[in-house]
This record gives sequence, C-alpha cells and structure tokens, in this order.
Amino acid sequence: MAEEESQLEEFEQIDFLRDRHVRFFQRSLQVLPERYSSLETTRLTIVFFALSGLDVLDALDVIDKNNMIEWIYSLQVLPTEDQSNLSRCGFRGSSHIGLPYSSKGPGISHPYDSGHIAMTYTGLASLLILGDDLGRVDKRACLVGLKALQLDDGSFYAVPEGSENDMRFIYCAACICYMLDDWSGMDTQKAIEYIRGSMSYDNGIGQGAGLESHGGSTFCAIASLRLMGRLEETMSQRELDRMRRWCIMRQQNGFHGRPNKPVDTCYSFWVGATLELLDVFQYTNYEKNKNYILSTQDRLVGGFAKWPDSHPDPLHAYFGLCGLSLLGEPSLRKVHPALNVTQRAFQHLQQLQQTWREKAGSCT
Amino acid sequence: MSGLEDISSELVGFKDEKDLDGELDGHPEVDYAGDPFRYVFYRDRKEWADLEPVPQDDGPNPVVKIAYSEKFTDVYDYFRALLKNDERSDRAFALTAEAIELNAANYTVWHYRRVLLQALEKDLREEMNYITAIIEEQPKNYQVWHHRRMVVEWLNDPSEELEFIADILSQDAKNYHAWQHRQWVIQEYKQWDDELEFVETLLEEDVRNNSAWNQRHFVISHTTGYSSPAILDREVQYCLTQIRKAPHNESAWNYLKGILQDRGLSSHPGLLDQVLELKETHCSPYLLAFLVDSYEDALENSNQRETLSKALEICQLLAQEKDTIRQEYWLFVGRSLESKYGSSASGEPLADGPEPASAPASGQQEMS
Repeated sequence: MAEEESQLEEFEQIDFLRDRHVRFFQRSLQVLPERYSSLETTRLTIVFFALSGLDVLDALDVIDKNNMIEWIYSLQVLPTEDQSNLSRCGFRGSSHIGLPYSSKGPGISHPYDSGHIAMTYTGLASLLILGDDLGRVDKRACLVGLKALQLDDGSFYAVPEGSENDMRFIYCAACICYMLDDWSGMDTQKAIEYIRGSMSYDNGIGQGAGLESHGGSTFCAIASLRLMGRLEETMSQRELDRMRRWCIMRQQNGFHGRPNKPVDTCYSFWVGATLELLDVFQYTNYEKNKNYILSTQDRLVGGFAKWPDSHPDPLHAYFGLCGLSLLGEPSLRKVHPALNVTQRAFQHLQQLQQTWREKAGSCT
Repeated sequence: MSGLEDISSELVGFKDEKDLDGELDGHPEVDYAGDPFRYVFYRDRKEWADLEPVPQDDGPNPVVKIAYSEKFTDVYDYFRALLKNDERSDRAFALTAEAIELNAANYTVWHYRRVLLQALEKDLREEMNYITAIIEEQPKNYQVWHHRRMVVEWLNDPSEELEFIADILSQDAKNYHAWQHRQWVIQEYKQWDDELEFVETLLEEDVRNNSAWNQRHFVISHTTGYSSPAILDREVQYCLTQIRKAPHNESAWNYLKGILQDRGLSSHPGLLDQVLELKETHCSPYLLAFLVDSYEDALENSNQRETLSKALEICQLLAQEKDTIRQEYWLFVGRSLESKYGSSASGEPLADGPEPASAPASGQQEMS
C-alpha cells in the first residue's frame, strides 16, 4: 500500500502513489497523441515498459493478456516459405511497414521487413511477463536473425540493413540468448572482447572503445556478462572493485549517468542495478535515492520523469519503479537486476526452460 | 540515453496543418485561385494516382496506438506504398524528406532514403547540407547521426566534420552522439593534429566537462601515449593545476587516477606529498578517495601498519564527514582493507585475482 511519510518536509510530498502509476501505464497502452510520433518504430518497447511496470506494481490483472499476446506475435518477422529472409527474422517495433495484420506464419515477403534487436528483446520479455510459453516464437529464426547482426568487433547492429552499433545492442543480444536459452545467437567471446575494450580509464564502461563511461552502457556491459555467466572470469577483483567505486560515485542524491552531469531518475535503475549485480548496492544511501525518485513522481498524471516538475514518460515511469523496487519498497515486486523483469517473470522463464530441457532430453 | 530519452521531457512540436481538400492544377502546393500555400494530400495529387496507399494495420486490438493527424497518415500511407514496391524515383526521394520531417526517428525512412540516394545518384554535397540542418534541429536523435556518417563515408570527405561537431558541442558540450561521431571521424580519417587544442579550449570553458576530459585521454592515448615521463608529468601537472582552480571536480581526479593507476598510484615520485598538501586547502571527497587508493597501492607493495592506519583514517573521515552519502561504502572499504592488510590477516599479501567474498556487512537497513 502507499507509504505515508508524514514526518518529512511539508512542501515536498513524497508518498508513493501506486494507483496513479497503474493508471499511467494503462493509458500508455491505449492511445497516445501525435506528439509521440517519434516512438512509432519503438512502440513495442513502450509496451514492455508498461507491462513490466504493471508487473512490478503487481497490477497485470488490469490488462487483457490474450489480446496483448496476439498483438505482440503479430510483430514477429517469420520466415517466408522459401526461408530466404531468415537472417532478417526477429520482432518488429510496430506495424509501421504496413504489412497486413497476422499473428501466425508463414512470413510475407517484403523488401524492407526485418526485425530490430531491441524489439526482439522486449517482445520476448513482454510475452514472458504475460505468462506466454513462447510456443509461437520461431526461436531458430530469431537466433539466425540475431547472429546476422553481430559485427567483427563483437558489437551488434540493431537491424540487418545497418545502424549504429554499441553496448545497448550487446545487452539486447544477451537477453535474447538468455531467454531462449541458446547462445548460438551470438559469439560471446567477441562480445566480451568488445566489453573489455569499452572499459574507460576512469573504470566505468562507455558505449564503445574510447567513449566516455556512462551509467547506461555500464549496466548493459555488466548485466550482459552476468547473463552470460562470465562476470567474475572477465573482470579481475581489482577491476571489479574499481568499477564498484565508479558506480557508487554516481550517487548525488538520486543518481546521474556520468560525472558532473545532473541526476536523472532512470539512473537509479541503470546504476542501482549494476551496483546490485556487483554486491554493493547495500552500501548506497537509500533515503536520498528514494526521496529523489519520489520527487520526480507526477502526482496528477502518474508516472515519473527524469527530473522534478518535468513531464513523465513510460521509460522513466518504469525505471523509477524499478529504482524503488531495488530499494525494497514494500508494495513493489522485486526486479531481476540483470534481465530487467520481475523475479516472478524470471521464475516463469526458469520453469519454461526446465520444460524445454526435459523435452529435449526425452527426444534423445 | 536510450532512444526514449530523446523524447522524455521534450515535447515534440505539434505541427500546424492547413487541411484542405480539392485538386489543383500545376503545383500541388499552390492554388492560384486563392491561398498560395494550401497543402494537398498525396491522395489528392494527380501524379500519385497510380499508387495505392498502404495503411498501418494493428489488428482488432491495437496497443500503444498513436493518434496521427490526417496529414501524417496520408504521408506515411504513401511511404508504405513506395516501400512495398521498392520504387526508385525522385518523387519517392522527395517524399522521404516529408516523412522525415514528421518523424525523424523512423529508421526505415532513413534507410530507404539512402537506397534512393545511391540508386538515383543524388548530389551528396546537398545531402550533407540537408543532414546538417536536421541534426542542428534534433541533435539527440540516433538516426540522423548514423545517416551523416554514411554520407561522409560515401563522399570519403570528413572536411566539414570537426567544425560541424564543434558547433553542435557549442550548444551542448556533453552531447554523447556528437562526441561519438567526433571520435569516429578523428580515428577513421586520422585527424588528430588539432584535437588536444580543441579539448583544452573546452576545458577552459568548463573544467568540469567530463566528456572533454575523456576526449583528452582519447587523443593522448592514441598519439603520444602516456609512457614517456615527460608526457605523464605534463598531464599530472595539468590535472593538479585544474584541481587547484576547481577542487570539487570528479573529472580531474578520475583522469589523474586513471593515467597513473596501472603503474601504481604510489609510484609517481612526490605526488603523494603534493596531494597531502592539497588536502589542507583544496580538499574534496575525490582527493581523499585518491589518498585511500594511493595508500592501498602502497600496501600492495609493502604492508606497513602505518600505511594501513592512514588509509583507515581517511576512510573514517570520508564516512563520518567528507562523503557521508557513501558512509556505508567507506566503512565497507575500511573493513576490506583491515581484513586484507590488518594484523588479523595472514602474513602474505593476497595476490590479485578472485578471492572469497568479503563478509556480509552491516550494510543497508530495509526501508521502513
């Protein structure tokens, strides 16, 4: 239930408005005004923020899971009859290409239809959150599509047509392989080399070699290593200690993403989760972090913004909640700090993977 | 910094529309009979009559549906039609500009535009002008920077880049996309010569610009390197000078530590004394952390009780007074040092490498 902190400052109310956040995410899932047009190609990520956010709030009962599952499956780029588009398979961010709605195969041939690595990641995660068994996911096609995106330096493009490449997409790749329980979708050794190559002189991790260390890319790198099960063997104790120091210095009250930059609610998750993965989140100042996150809460509309008195959006609403969850907010579900879904969704995944392994075992 | 932070607090400008129906002769945008700039939908333009618009189809239960205006829908219905046929024409090229204006984050439009740029052998110099203007308007969009990089690569001409990026940085000196593009240009086309000077200019404007400090490391590590004692000393002195001017600056301390830590912080002669001196007049949590790390480095080489107690004293100072937000952390650091180097620890210093996890600490209390 909502916390009442009556002994705190009169002017700044910092009680947690659970119900408002539920409604905020519900509204995000419905209709957005045209000023959100830049989100068209990434609508599936908004769905993920809303679903995972509702999951953290233990409020998934407010949505129609089956309808949502159908819509997500309609975004899957399936192999065509002749399988000529295998290396372009995965999930789309939305229907913006204009293919007729279809939640099952075979795939329709289109010169410009291909998956996007972040949509494949959030699509799979969203299905899991909704309790789906991934039975209609063409796993092999997803993994071929993923492999096709990896570059020689170990990083990934977002789409087969080409795009920028950086640590974000390594994280997406690691999540995809982890969820599908199949690392054939990526060359982990190369990815690890890219990660090591992105370590900065100041002991944080940048988006790529030479680039400024950043809370987002540091999370992507460490979480990826954790998902690969290679964190302790990739970094020495000294390197891990130095990284712990870099991360913990990001706390100002809330957290920022780079030295001498302003704090931003979402870094309470990016940096907080990294600190949790490094076993030192317990040494941060919970009070100041919590107070900052709550100061960015929109009391009218729900959700969270990056800064106080700013407009909330689904990303900051989601990561604000995750930040509070890391702090042990009682009404919130725990979040898996590497996979970025609730522990509940994570356990569903584990059960699913158990089933897959048993099936595979019984076939031999 | 995810794609969504592009939109987070900033509202995308809502564009004014002149919604008018009707067919017109000649130029679609001009109505000689009245208002000279009436907008005409593509569906009403004669030259587009051969093309069947393709709507978006979200099925019976759309999720996160965006409510587009008529104009927006019209442009994109025709974009989808062109895409489906993979049409390679000037009218297609012109339409991509409109689609981009409506949504510059649509990577499919940008890709299609690049296909057309090549298929129609368009003037890439003009394209550079075009992308320059777009980036100036939307400097935190991933697609526009990627597009610029592609055009620069095709032209094999980076000559405008450093000046252009400098202009973007003059508006936001920490724009990550700008710095990323800058590093690509410099490394790809070996434009190292003037970069240190550029970095110093930025640091003069804002000595706390962490991106500029990062760039300093980028330039030096790829040119002279830090091996020569002359360079290393120059850099150490540069740091100390900047620290004297602005003591509370994590970036300067991170840089100082970064260039020395692999050689050993306690190895640079006289530095420890200089820092101890600075402690009296230019103290900061970063200075004190540097001291802790220096003492730890010294302990690794030679475990002396006096060094350990100095390190522990600074940890206490940080925890109780100088960096209280990280109180639990500094207490943890103190305990770790004690455990590793203290009288209860084994005689041999532990080798670097995986070690048993430190004992669970008092750590954080659960939130009440």
